Amino acid sequence: MRITELFDQGKFVITAELAPPKGFHLDHMLKEAKEYLGAVTAINVTDNQSSNMKMGSMATCKALKDNGFESIFQLTCRDRNRLALQSDLLSAAYFGIENLLLLTGDHTRVGDTPQAKPVFDLDSVSLIHTVKLLEQGVDLGGKELEGEPPKFAKGAVVSPCSDSIDAQLSKMERKVMAGAEYFQTQAVYDSEKFIKFMERAKQFGVPVMLGLIIPKGAGALNFLNNNIPGISVPPDMIEELKKDPERAKAGITGVEITARIIRECRDYCQGVHIMTLGWESKVPDVLSQAGIA
Amino acid sequence: MEDYTKFRLKGNDELIPLLEAGDDLFILACNKCFKEFTAEDEPECDELAGIAAGLGKKIAGCAKLDFLCNKTLTQKRLVEALPQDAAKIIVVACGLGIQTIADIADLPVCAATDSVSYGGRHGMALTQKLCQACGQCYLNLTGGICPIVDCSKSLVNGQCGGAKNGKCEVDKEKDCAWENIYNRLQAQNRAGELASNPIELRDYSKVDYKFISSYVSSIREKRLDGYYGGLHPSERKELSEHIGLAVFPEPATVVIPLSQHTGAPAQPLVSAGEHVKLGQKIGEAAGYVSAMLHASVSGEVTAVEPRKHPTTGADVLSVVIRSDGKNELHESVKPYENPDSLTADDILEIVREKGLVGMGGAAFPTAVKLKSAKPIDTVLLNGCECEPLLTADHHVMLNYADDIIYGLKVLLRTVGAEKGIIVVEDNKPDVIALLESKTSDIGNIEILEAKTKYPQGAEKMLIKKALGRQVPSGGLPLDVGVVVSNVSTVKAVSDAIQKGMPLIERVVTVTGEKIEKPGNYIVKIGTPVMELVSYCGGVTDDDVAFKLGGPMMGVAISDLNVPVLKGTNGVIAFAPEDSEPSECIRCGRCVDVCPMELYPLYFPKYAGAGNWQGVKDKNVRDCMECGCCDFICSAKIPIRDAIKLGKKEVAAMERKD
Amino acid sequence: MLITQLKPKETIASIAGSKAFYITCEGCREVYFPEEEAAQLREEAAGIGSLVTDYICNPDNLMFQLEKHMEKLNAADTIVVFSCGVGVQTVSACFTGKKVYAGCDTYPLPGGQGVTPLEYDCDQCGECHLNSTGGICPITACSKSLVNGQCGGAKYGKCEVDKDMDCGWERIYRRLEAAGLTDSLLYPVKIRDFAVE
Repeated sequence: MRITELFDQGKFVITAELAPPKGFHLDHMLKEAKEYLGAVTAINVTDNQSSNMKMGSMATCKALKDNGFESIFQLTCRDRNRLALQSDLLSAAYFGIENLLLLTGDHTRVGDTPQAKPVFDLDSVSLIHTVKLLEQGVDLGGKELEGEPPKFAKGAVVSPCSDSIDAQLSKMERKVMAGAEYFQTQAVYDSEKFIKFMERAKQFGVPVMLGLIIPKGAGALNFLNNNIPGISVPPDMIEELKKDPERAKAGITGVEITARIIRECRDYCQGVHIMTLGWESKVPDVLSQAGIA
Repeated sequence: MEDYTKFRLKGNDELIPLLEAGDDLFILACNKCFKEFTAEDEPECDELAGIAAGLGKKIAGCAKLDFLCNKTLTQKRLVEALPQDAAKIIVVACGLGIQTIADIADLPVCAATDSVSYGGRHGMALTQKLCQACGQCYLNLTGGICPIVDCSKSLVNGQCGGAKNGKCEVDKEKDCAWENIYNRLQAQNRAGELASNPIELRDYSKVDYKFISSYVSSIREKRLDGYYGGLHPSERKELSEHIGLAVFPEPATVVIPLSQHTGAPAQPLVSAGEHVKLGQKIGEAAGYVSAMLHASVSGEVTAVEPRKHPTTGADVLSVVIRSDGKNELHESVKPYENPDSLTADDILEIVREKGLVGMGGAAFPTAVKLKSAKPIDTVLLNGCECEPLLTADHHVMLNYADDIIYGLKVLLRTVGAEKGIIVVEDNKPDVIALLESKTSDIGNIEILEAKTKYPQGAEKMLIKKALGRQVPSGGLPLDVGVVVSNVSTVKAVSDAIQKGMPLIERVVTVTGEKIEKPGNYIVKIGTPVMELVSYCGGVTDDDVAFKLGGPMMGVAISDLNVPVLKGTNGVIAFAPEDSEPSECIRCGRCVDVCPMELYPLYFPKYAGAGNWQGVKDKNVRDCMECGCCDFICSAKIPIRDAIKLGKKEVAAMERKD
Repeated sequence: MLITQLKPKETIASIAGSKAFYITCEGCREVYFPEEEAAQLREEAAGIGSLVTDYICNPDNLMFQLEKHMEKLNAADTIVVFSCGVGVQTVSACFTGKKVYAGCDTYPLPGGQGVTPLEYDCDQCGECHLNSTGGICPITACSKSLVNGQCGGAKYGKCEVDKDMDCGWERIYRRLEAAGLTDSLLYPVKIRDFAVE
């Protein structure tokens, strides 16, 4: 099922993000998913996230599907040239993977294998364009595909709390122009900024899913704020986590904060996307406190 | 010769919408680099203007400039070339030129060209060899054939199997690099290495952008420090800088040419057989721009006859004195009474009478320089000694700091300047500390520490560095209110007033890697260079060449039987550098380093064609012959020789007019 | 004009034979060359001969400079060259029968390969993008060479690869914004053509 169909029906879509292991054993991941992610619409699988070498996103998506989950295949331009990207898209279609999140990808220098050659033959915009072409039955070289062309839900990312909103909107517009059908955002902590952003982004008429990372403590949140692009945390939120370190450590404060952000932003977005970073177990609490599950 | 032109015009499908989008177009084209330097104009500019005219567009102007990517110079040229009514700049250049213009222009800037890739970076010659600058040279494994550039897949573990008949699958004209590698290694009996070498994995993190960008900013800073261009040649001052100043043994005979200064030769005042005393005037200045000459020893004049001049090589009238070894002082040599009450005119007269000339090399009569028709506010003392090898001024400053300060005060009084600045390069920290301690209580004298860069000591550079003032083209320091003097000259001013001693000796550095025992000596004017060299232990071997002065601006001499002059600051012996000039490839390095911001590549080009008007139009007269262009020229063209010839021919051409 | 760094001492020691001849290229003058380190290495290695010169990438100049040393060169079992890759290849082409080794690794230097190093570079990509990017090159100013806008990896305007490097696309955006030309970013999706000659 393509999640765009749900947006079309006016449904509030909930997704969660999982990272494949460095290895090929998915038992643990599937167990966690079954235990905690029953309420989400789809599970989004990262592609060598932060340029760290992991098991592939496509195979992980396939495994999730086999276990009854809808999945979203993340595809970056860092590790594959246009031949590999297109052929992977066709392979995904064969496996019945219908949802895509198309990104440029982090630079190889930031990950665990900085010696690698960064590819970036295509980028997020041209990759979206490429998927659109494949859907029309032709490849980038202009050659026709055999048989029925594939059909995907084409997702892209945007950072509503970036230092440079104008530049973000300009890039978002390009992605829409290229064919992006829904957006997933970088983790949002500042509802006000998000709402302001959405007031301007709604002109594109494309559904936006609010991105979330449950804060694991004041230190962790501070780190995200200082080091992760597109993340901006209001100072009082860090104070809130500092107040009772035990509660924060247990995830209680983090869940409260996350649920609160969802409640504040709900009317301005078409879904939420939770990047679990190991805290899959907190997802049910977040959703119930936010009143969306 | 390969042609490494880095751009070509875009196709009409792109150019036409580009031109249609604006009006009042200014077309700016780069004259290209790294291609044979021909006389023909590059065609793209006119081609583009033609297309624009065909579209009915108004052309506000066109200009063809050299090396658009040279930001400093292009900025100035653009101001001169840009018409008032231009609304948009269309650039014909590689990406660097376009980015430079986009960076400096206030108008919208468009690229009419696409860059052309050669699959690697070429060297400073137009050969086919390219380097990818991958940061992990593989040539040691591949017999010196580059697998990164020459293999279309940049494979590092052997051929791919795609070659047919030794040719690459990508291009049937192209050799398979790995077949060539195999063949070469086999010829060297090294083919076995191919199998036994460890597996290679390329490391794309090797190219450290941080190192590169910090290097680029540091080199730009160095090149633009104080003034544009210049060089940092290997200094090698350690050969003599720590060897203390010594008095050179009395010469048996001195030869004093009557012409060792800028201007008219002096008239002899003595004749053969006459006895002269130390400091006695033996040559009378013949005209305003000329200088007196004095006996540097006491003894008998043995001849007044033409002798070989060390710098011109011609025979010029010289006074030859056989020393009696007594150094009997002439009665005119005595301190002036009440020196503080001397007027400016008195001082000018003393400076003239005592034969003072600039001792930095040019030997311009000091009295003429000090008699400025324009108001002077600053006296700059040149203590840079920016020439490699030389340490004479260094030792003058260490040994005669008080005399220099005294002389500077005299100069300030003479020209009516408020301020004196002694500029010393940072490679002489001992001098800087000494002068600072001695001037700390003098309000109007300042010591300026300058980062080492050649030719910092040149008047115009020194003024720009110390005061930020630009001497106009064809102008003199006094046009910007400055007098520049060498520290040795000022020391001589002090001697003239405090001791009444004319200019009869100077400090000379005898050095160079071929001199056995380098040193710094106080030498009588007229002492044969031969004596200096043999006193310093002679030369280490026969493969040697000599210069009077420093390696950059010094004059080559083949005959050592010539005298030390007032302007001789060094005698250097070095291994001769042989080189054979090749064709100019428009690499632009001479333009990069010319401190006068000229375009030196044109001088040999135009001189070779007898185009003296062209030489003149490229401002040959602004050249001070510092030799930076010669030093850097990748084609080893003796640019300075062409400049010297050009100056002569331009002068002759003007006389005819 | 390229920058070089010496290979590790051990590497050089392992490649130089017992009768090595050392060629050091000190040109491109005014451009970084580890002169002193190279001199020290040469001294310690004590080969059968050495030549210090410049611009060896010019084969005519190289041969002219080598003339005096031919006897030693012929006797040498290896020639170790301290220069950029172009220089080593030039020497190697002159002595195809001999082991010619590189003593340096070569790094790229922004600028026109001969003109003063510049703060910006041209990758000679063959399809100039500057018209839509306000004259700032997205190929060289962006660490990923993106041509359709920024990647989202920048923080405080700095690139994810290097905190000292400005995000090229933020610079592009700022310049276009200042000129009131941000509309020029709405060009059709760009896909680079790596087959362009």
